[in-house]
Amino acid sequence: MEAGVAVDIRELERVYTPRKREPVVALDSVSLTIPTGEVHGMLGPNGAGKTTLVKILSTVLLPTSGTAHVLGHDVVEETRAVRPLIGIVFGGERGLYTRLTARQNLEYWGALYRLSSAAIRQRSAALLERVGLVDRADQRVEEFSRGMKQRLHLARGLMGDARVLFLDEPTTGMDPIAGREFRGLIAELKDEGRTILLTTHDMVEAESVCDRVTLIDRGRVLATETPRSLGTLISRFQRIDVAGADGALLAEVAALPGVSSATPQADGSTRIEVSEEGATAVVLRRLVDGGVTDLQTSLPSLEEVYVQTIGERGLGV
Amino acid sequence: MRAFLAGARVQLRFMVAYPDSLIPFFTAPLFTIVFMLVFKHAGRQDLTAYAAIAPVFIALWWLALFNSGWTITTERWNGTLEMLVAAPSSFGAVIFGRIAATTAVGTLSFFEAWIVARLIFGATVTIHHWGAFVLTAFATLAAMAGTAVGMAALFVLARNAVTFSNSASYPFYVLGGILVPVSLLPHWVRPLSAVVFLSWSADLLRATLDAAPIHDFWPHLGMVVLLGACGYAVGLAALRVILVRVRGSGELSTT
Amino acid sequence: MSTVRVVWYSVLSGANDYWSIFTLKSWVFGWVIRVVSQVTFFALIGTLLQSEAQTNFLLVGNAVMVAGMGATFALHQPTSERGNGTLSLLLASPSRPVVVMLARGLYVVADAIWSALLGLAIVGPAFGLEFPWPRALLVIPLTALVGISAYCFSTFLAGVIIAHRNINNLVVNTTIVALMALCGVNVPVSYFPDWLERIVELLPITDGLEAIRGVLAGDPWSSVAAHVGGELLAASGWLAIALLTFGRFIRAGQRDGSLEFAS
Repeated sequence: MEAGVAVDIRELERVYTPRKREPVVALDSVSLTIPTGEVHGMLGPNGAGKTTLVKILSTVLLPTSGTAHVLGHDVVEETRAVRPLIGIVFGGERGLYTRLTARQNLEYWGALYRLSSAAIRQRSAALLERVGLVDRADQRVEEFSRGMKQRLHLARGLMGDARVLFLDEPTTGMDPIAGREFRGLIAELKDEGRTILLTTHDMVEAESVCDRVTLIDRGRVLATETPRSLGTLISRFQRIDVAGADGALLAEVAALPGVSSATPQADGSTRIEVSEEGATAVVLRRLVDGGVTDLQTSLPSLEEVYVQTIGERGLGV
Repeated sequence: MRAFLAGARVQLRFMVAYPDSLIPFFTAPLFTIVFMLVFKHAGRQDLTAYAAIAPVFIALWWLALFNSGWTITTERWNGTLEMLVAAPSSFGAVIFGRIAATTAVGTLSFFEAWIVARLIFGATVTIHHWGAFVLTAFATLAAMAGTAVGMAALFVLARNAVTFSNSASYPFYVLGGILVPVSLLPHWVRPLSAVVFLSWSADLLRATLDAAPIHDFWPHLGMVVLLGACGYAVGLAALRVILVRVRGSGELSTT
Repeated sequence: MSTVRVVWYSVLSGANDYWSIFTLKSWVFGWVIRVVSQVTFFALIGTLLQSEAQTNFLLVGNAVMVAGMGATFALHQPTSERGNGTLSLLLASPSRPVVVMLARGLYVVADAIWSALLGLAIVGPAFGLEFPWPRALLVIPLTALVGISAYCFSTFLAGVIIAHRNINNLVVNTTIVALMALCGVNVPVSYFPDWLERIVELLPITDGLEAIRGVLAGDPWSSVAAHVGGELLAASGWLAIALLTFGRFIRAGQRDGSLEFAS
């Protein structure tokens, strides 16, 4: 076990065998290493296995085979060692005691994380301040908005001063502003040296806050890259969107070496995709020489990667 | 220990936050009134002790059936069961702490019964054998908590827990001889009553409130403790099964 | 005419809900055993008192009380409507909510009445209670009257607490035991001081139970008829009050925001 590795997953498998039904493979030979201090995104559709993975890592679920270590401790054999080090933050309406106040919720979990009374008081006050709930600390959770509940979830997950945090779809149902604030909090936590595993199907979130993203579908890891470099999966290099070029120029550019396609778009522009290094410069020079000034280059967004690799499935899960 | 106390403390907060928890404390005085009315109307003030004890058992049993018994299941519905499993503290200790707190608070019903008997009917409940009373009370509460732990665990695993909850009140009041002693029941019922700790408890408590000397105190107390411990043992075994189901098969997953 | 249709469909939907909760097995092994035990529990007091008269008094009283108890469960109705999210739909519809709710709960009342009669039929003979035939057949419609009367009363209460869902269960349980204490179920109301007796006469169950006791004891028909009249008066009185006030309680709850629809 190397120093500096927060999460080490090797060939992890999880098969569910429900009664009277076919076995379901939730995780299929998943391997992944997350260094300490990284914010790692798990991106995939519903049923991809993200939640199953988080549950195994948080010692709530046992794997069928394979191993997983959190901060050097085996999640199956050494639950006593793992549990004090981790924090779990689930998304959604549940997981809080709605008839208790925010503070009372935190105090309860603080006690379960074996904090002293003084530490409980201090830390819950500090966390409430940090997530911006200090004015609502003594209000019942049932009166909270979705965003406020989510922030309380985060505070709860931090009561044990977790070194490794597992956030399972934490911003589902949040409005964009609340989501952005939440992501700011995550960046802060990263600065404190915590390791964060974040599952999401929000591409914007994965792109904006994660150091690396793993694409997962049907229990299998498809790829692990930085958000930017994931884009190169589909389109190895850049795309150039051109407007105002005449047909002859476009035909000439399309025939250049290294150009893989030139596709007209609905808005009248043309998308030129290249597949070789260096081709972009040639294409751009040719277009500019041809008098075109309306140009835009880009790498495919995570969304397009997602849709391309997973999207054939459509809405049917 | 800390987990136990954390459970107890949060349970007290729940009891304040959920009015349903107060039900036994409203019905206990009313039941006391019902029983006292019957006895007084029949000219049997000597049965005051009976009228004071039965409502306490009713209250404690109600708390076990409708409150404590649902501790783990409600955690499941609330989406906090898995978080509880993932916490460093002992799952069982937290649950036991919560149930112990509920049971302890349930004893307030005894004071309610005592006050009602005194204020409304001018009847006193006198404890004649203090040592025996205290021991029996503690044993009863412990047995009640142990049985409730059994219920809490079994209600998660059994499919018809709701039916049991709704139907297991009066049958146990009868079998447990909480108002009318088991000795007045037909013979064929007695073996059933013998395995319900309530029957031993009720007999003993009535005896401690009676001037006459108590016979076979220790064997009877032993039965209360034994049966309560059985409930607790069943509960512990079932808790283990629950943890296996949460972690192993994922059956009790809430997400 | 449309009110009749509303009522009919409400009854049907209530019945449907009901059987989705209870299977025959759980009803027999759960509910019936509980009912029988409940009546037995109180009847046994007569054994303790070594008085057959007491045994019969307690037995009949508590068997009939089962009808009242079951009918009081109707107090849960608005809460389950709110929980299902159907209350807001109901309020937005042109039908009067109290009418629909009354109709939907009829199945609860039917079960309450049937359970009471079953309890009487099973526990009665077990304790040696003899039924004077054919007079005893009157117990059936009279028990139905008690059930309906209690139902009207509890519908009124349901309106009172409609904006306070969290004390619903508390009110149900307290009402049941209070009725047990007050309505001549375990001791005759004549045992109470006059002022209390007058108040208790206004409650459901009291007169109906007296009528039933009268039928079983062979009392003169005039006395039985007087009690039947009393119960009919109570039933219609509480029904009228419920019809008048339910809508008012709802509007009050809507006005001050206490009647929120989120479950």
